[in-house]
Amino acid sequence: MAPTVFRRHGVSRRSKLAVSSGHMRILQHLYFRYGIALVFVGIALGLSLVSHQSMPESFLFFFLAAVMLAGWFGRTGAGLFAVTVSMIMVGYYFIPPYRALAVELDELPYFFSFLSSALVTSWLGSARRNAEEKQRAHLDELFEQSPEAIMLIDRQDRILRINKEFTRIFGFTLDQAEHLRSVDLITPANLKSEAAVSRKRLSEGQILSLETIRMRKDGSYLDVSEVSFPVVADGKNIAYYVIFRDITESRRAREELHTAQSELAHLTRITTMGELASSIAHEINQPIGAIATNGNAAVRWLGQQPPNVEGAEEALECIVRDANRAADVIGRIRALLRKNTTPMSNLDVNEVIREVLVLTSFETSRRDAAVTAELADGLPSVLGDRVQLQQVILNLIMNGLESMSTIVDRPRHLRIQSVKTAGGICIQVRDSGKGWDMRHFTSVFDPFFTTKKEGIGMGLTISRSIIEAHGGRLWAEQDTPHGAILTFTLPTS
Amino acid sequence: MGRTGHTTWGDSDFHSSNIMKSLPNCVFVVDDDQSMRDALRNLLRSVGLEARLFATAQEFLDGFRTGLDGLADVPGCLILDVRLPGLGGLDLQRELTDAGIHIPVIFITAHGDIPMSVRAMKAGAMEFLTKPFRDQDLLDAIQVSLAKDRDRRQKEIHLVELRRRLQMLTTRERELLPLIVSGRTNKEVAVELGTSEVTVKVHRGNLMRKMQAASFADLLRMTSDLQIPYTKV
Repeated sequence: MAPTVFRRHGVSRRSKLAVSSGHMRILQHLYFRYGIALVFVGIALGLSLVSHQSMPESFLFFFLAAVMLAGWFGRTGAGLFAVTVSMIMVGYYFIPPYRALAVELDELPYFFSFLSSALVTSWLGSARRNAEEKQRAHLDELFEQSPEAIMLIDRQDRILRINKEFTRIFGFTLDQAEHLRSVDLITPANLKSEAAVSRKRLSEGQILSLETIRMRKDGSYLDVSEVSFPVVADGKNIAYYVIFRDITESRRAREELHTAQSELAHLTRITTMGELASSIAHEINQPIGAIATNGNAAVRWLGQQPPNVEGAEEALECIVRDANRAADVIGRIRALLRKNTTPMSNLDVNEVIREVLVLTSFETSRRDAAVTAELADGLPSVLGDRVQLQQVILNLIMNGLESMSTIVDRPRHLRIQSVKTAGGICIQVRDSGKGWDMRHFTSVFDPFFTTKKEGIGMGLTISRSIIEAHGGRLWAEQDTPHGAILTFTLPTS
Repeated sequence: MGRTGHTTWGDSDFHSSNIMKSLPNCVFVVDDDQSMRDALRNLLRSVGLEARLFATAQEFLDGFRTGLDGLADVPGCLILDVRLPGLGGLDLQRELTDAGIHIPVIFITAHGDIPMSVRAMKAGAMEFLTKPFRDQDLLDAIQVSLAKDRDRRQKEIHLVELRRRLQMLTTRERELLPLIVSGRTNKEVAVELGTSEVTVKVHRGNLMRKMQAASFADLLRMTSDLQIPYTKV
């Protein structure tokens, strides 16, 4: 929205009144104020004259009321003006000597007490009015200058008031929007029923907060966060406030961040898979070798006179089994190398761990390490992204193997445990390696922190962000007497 | 490996004669991979070879030491995976050598890296095959290995017999043996031992009879097998 537009349309009625009309307006204002003071005093005089015969003192009330009203409507100046005129009128008509602008000496105290009451009354009226005006100006300013777009609607959803930010993000001025139903103005066609439901809940007195899509004047859409609440007076909803914040930018930033994170996760998966390449080759080579050998066996069984069908069958059954095994391995690797994340689903964490252990089994034996899996039975399922969780477990295992690679004086032992905790699952990977270097302990989750020669230092960073995105926690500890512990939790679905 | 010098186990060869069935023998397989073990068992059975399968080196070692139902005493060979959990293939080979078990070893590996195969061959491996290998290569290696083991076992039996005969010789006859086989005449031997030529002749006759040597050339071969050194002139 161009700033010029909002300057042209975004000025409130109140300030428009003052700014656009200039001196003339102020002058008119002045005439009006003093005029109205005269009118009130005139009415009081008329009423006093009429009732003077029956109630000689009634003029007091009429003039005090006139002074108060003049103070209320005309503020301090007009109030004092009304007091002056009233004093002249009272002195002339109602205080002896009548019909003369003089006051008898005996009547002076009476006269002055009336004057002081009139002054106080006038002041009360104008002060009350000033205070109210001031408060209202504060509220108006707050409404106008709020960084959130605010819309005030009545119970029929008709727009009563909008502020500058509303004009800026939606493009409507108050003149264009006033008295129109907000749902017709800014709700996209496909969300009208949803909006109707929200209004209904709002009318029941609920405070609503949601993220949705609204439409600008030019028909384009924007992402907003919307908070709405009723204005309650005497136990009834008299109007509703709806506050919008344009979150298009922050949503885009969030999506971009998400994309960047998943790309980085993908990259680290590829890196890890690269480190595992020889193990993976072995894992595929093994069943393929077995298939070739079984195939040869089958050919030999069938080549005998008479052909040994039973032996050939047995070999062929092995071929089918091994081919499936190879396909499984390839499938798992492809899943891990896939760029897109898989949808969240209910997962058996133990199964996820076992799948990773299949991929890393050769890597562990290549590194002369032993892996023990202590997986608790009957774990509740967790809602998660299979590939991402596999990546975390893969990272933790590779991390453990790596930290044990220089250990020669004790067994290289990696333990992976899963246990049930209150409200979730806890998975722990501990190794018998060199443990954390306490000098860098606080930075092990920092991006690009690595102690490996080939590492890019993103493994633990990515793992932590994945676990946190799953609503869990990942932390590192030092094991005694040696080794490192990495633990993460996942809430159950 | 000089495989060309041996008859290969071509398909026809196997199916017609099945030499292996006629003579008792056994092929041992140590591989941690179930698929690979099953595949090898199928292949070996399809050519009429009995296979014994082991998942770890330790399992095999323990079994072999307890005799394996007599299978340790028949000609055999060992198909051994290089990478094994715990005791590795090369470690097992060394253990076997240290324990005086001379079973021929054929290595199979998924990662045939050169230093490893050099180590294996230096330590006396028969063959080093990379998975996936040609089945014929494996079967050829098995045939060579079994033949070698059978040969070794026969030689061993022969040596045991020769040693038994050697034990029957008197001290004088045993003194005589290296002198005779180094080509000395009876007269020269008599001078060397300070006795008469006739006595030497009598001893020599007894020696030939006890060693069951049909000729001097026969006796010469026996002393060569027994690695009895010549006495230089």
